[in-house]
Amino acid sequence: MVAVKETIDAVAALEKYEHGFTSDIDTEYAPRGLNADIVRFISEKKGEPEWMLEWRLAAFERWQAMEEPTWASVKYTPVDYQDLFYYAAPKKKEGPKSLDEVDPDLLAVYAKLGIPLKEQEVLAGVEGAPRYAVDAVFDSVSVVTTFKKELQKVGVIFMPISEALREHPELVRQYLGSVVPVSDNYFAALNSAVFSDGSFVYIPPGVRCPMELSTYFRINASQTGQFERTLIIADKGSYCSYLEGCTAPMRDENQLHAAVVELVALDDAEIKYSTVQNWYPGDAEGKGGIYNFVTKRADCRGDRSKVSWTQVETGSAVTWKYPSCLLKGEESSGEFYSIAITNGHQQADTGTKMVHLGKNSKSRIIAKAVSAGKSDSTYRGLVSVHPKATGVRNFTQCDSLLIGKECGSHTVPYIEARNGSAQLEHEATTTRLSDDQLFYAQQRGLSQEEAVALLVNGFVRDVLQELPMEFAVEAQKLVAISLEGSVG
Amino acid sequence: MSALPVIDLKDASSFPSRRVEAWKYSDLRKYLREAPAPSPSAAIPMTGGGPFEGLGGEPMAFVNGRAVGVNTLMACGTQTVRLRLISKAEATGHATTARISARAGAKLLILETHEGEGSAYVAHNRLELDVAHDAEVTRIVLADEPEDAISISQARVRVAPGGRYRQTVVTTGAKLQRLETEVTHLGQGADVRMDGLYALTGARQADLTSVVDHTAADGTTSQLTKGVVRDAGRGVFQGKIIVERGADGTDARMGHHALILSERGEVDAKPELIIYADDVQCAHGNTVGNLDQNALFYMQQRGLPLDEARALLTEAFLIEVVDRIEHEGAREVVREWLTARL
Repeated sequence: MVAVKETIDAVAALEKYEHGFTSDIDTEYAPRGLNADIVRFISEKKGEPEWMLEWRLAAFERWQAMEEPTWASVKYTPVDYQDLFYYAAPKKKEGPKSLDEVDPDLLAVYAKLGIPLKEQEVLAGVEGAPRYAVDAVFDSVSVVTTFKKELQKVGVIFMPISEALREHPELVRQYLGSVVPVSDNYFAALNSAVFSDGSFVYIPPGVRCPMELSTYFRINASQTGQFERTLIIADKGSYCSYLEGCTAPMRDENQLHAAVVELVALDDAEIKYSTVQNWYPGDAEGKGGIYNFVTKRADCRGDRSKVSWTQVETGSAVTWKYPSCLLKGEESSGEFYSIAITNGHQQADTGTKMVHLGKNSKSRIIAKAVSAGKSDSTYRGLVSVHPKATGVRNFTQCDSLLIGKECGSHTVPYIEARNGSAQLEHEATTTRLSDDQLFYAQQRGLSQEEAVALLVNGFVRDVLQELPMEFAVEAQKLVAISLEGSVG
Repeated sequence: MSALPVIDLKDASSFPSRRVEAWKYSDLRKYLREAPAPSPSAAIPMTGGGPFEGLGGEPMAFVNGRAVGVNTLMACGTQTVRLRLISKAEATGHATTARISARAGAKLLILETHEGEGSAYVAHNRLELDVAHDAEVTRIVLADEPEDAISISQARVRVAPGGRYRQTVVTTGAKLQRLETEVTHLGQGADVRMDGLYALTGARQADLTSVVDHTAADGTTSQLTKGVVRDAGRGVFQGKIIVERGADGTDARMGHHALILSERGEVDAKPELIIYADDVQCAHGNTVGNLDQNALFYMQQRGLPLDEARALLTEAFLIEVVDRIEHEGAREVVREWLTARL
């Protein structure tokens, strides 16, 4: 029972939010506020081609005409979009970005976060141990990307999107905005106008990416929004697994994180996208924390293509996030595994959309929500079947667990079947932590918090199993920490 | 407070469009842009005694919105009411409001029929129903309306502590038909069973929408809706169960299961749970699919023609809802009514 022991240790050893430290990094800002000049400023900073600037300006124009959505079941102080910094980058010395030249202060931040940025460090493990290529994004820029050369040997492109815009403009231009159009929603339009960095991945036909790719996002500067943009393209018959992690310092103010992630899977390609979201959730009184308004969508445009989303949502003050799959290819499949844990005053409105457009496409949704304290959690999902998409199958399971008298948990699924050959199943349950089980665990010598962590880990196990191993361990610890102090 | 929008047939601005979340799948404004001309209100003779005539009871009838007798009823003891909502109009509109309350300890059976004899009419029927402490009310609704009618039925039901409410709505749809029930559930032993059934052919649409709001502790709700859609029919189910803060000990279950037996049929479902209390048991299940191919194969192998096998399986699928009606006489009337329409 190593896992159980680890959970217990984690509960005992860790404080509420271990990534809450701030780092004093010399930072360069764009002027506060948002207007067309700021968009031009960001584009110029990145040395982008002219078409990209036009694309951004068009997005900015669209955004100005749009209204912030209010349908989600979350309440928050409105964001003053003119009171934010849209670009913050650690000042760097001249020269190429070899690891040795990266600001040691920055490296220290990542060391503190436990992110391996040194290739040799990763290699130092046992032979055959899984390796991770990391793209580290600090506020608005990518500071370092590891294993680039080794990936290049097999033709995999893994680099910051700002660099990809310079080195592979044709690829970026072909796919950027093709999954999440500029005017898709308010936050996507805002992101399209001001996004500063993020990862770009291209896996050539038939290539199985030799290692896990990961991006680590860190918001450091205060009063700054982070707008990252990730674009992953898996060409015919390729495979890749991508991990995303995120943290932010503890600050009294609410910070905005509005990302867009686009995945494209061509014929027979597979993308596995895992997220452990641990943004700062705010303090016990609900002050501060990240607003996480994210648009994530996968386009399974190839036949037999597959995309699997796995997310562990433990952080953020407010989450608004629906990783979705457009299942266009025949026999394409989409999966969504989610754990959403809310405590304190956190609010999460999250779920998925499975849009079945291709014949015999399949989807599977497993969503687990745990609400504690004064938090509120909503699963909102859509399964829709197009009239021409025959032979579609879907299975959805949403389970919610409530801990405490003041939290809320809601399930809002939409099911739209437009032809007679679809087979759709949905089930949802809401219960509280069983007194009997808690009593049993405590009787066996576990403290109340250990017992809660154990039971909750059991509750979310179906989803944890879908995570890559390293992430699963981290996620399991997070589950325990997030629920600290939720009982009694 | 009503969670669902209030509609006034005389005021076109009160007609919700699909942008109103609760009307997302039934765009009233698309079908009805202007307030309809009022239906003739002169006394129109009623034909027959309605599908439930054989069960006796007092009639409470409305023709084109006009009450033939009383429009308010207070029940005590054991009573049966045949609530008949008759539309004999052509391309005009009418609205009714009926108020029924069951006093403490009463046992009331409401046999409600929506009888459409005209065409292209717009009917708006409101029912306010009060179920007092320890009263038991059973409401059975049979909706039989022409394929070009627009019909909206809105029932607001209040179930007092210890009260029991049983509802079964059976419909064959219309051009746009909405059968809405909003229950304020005061718990403390109160028990609600709310079932629905739709069987749709042609281009008919039926929308069964309900909200059950558990405002106090120890209430139970059980909901089962089943539907069969053929041709280009469209079935909509929206069920919302709310458990408010403090409504501990609530046990709520909801199921919606639909069969689409054609290529162009459509089913839209939105089963919602909104929960603010932790000591609760809530679950919902939703399935949409086709008939079990193995069962069909087995039946054909046993010598049943395919059509008959299909009909048998479809009936067996739907009849579960009818079987849950406790009143034997009403159950048999509904069974015959349904079988004749399958």
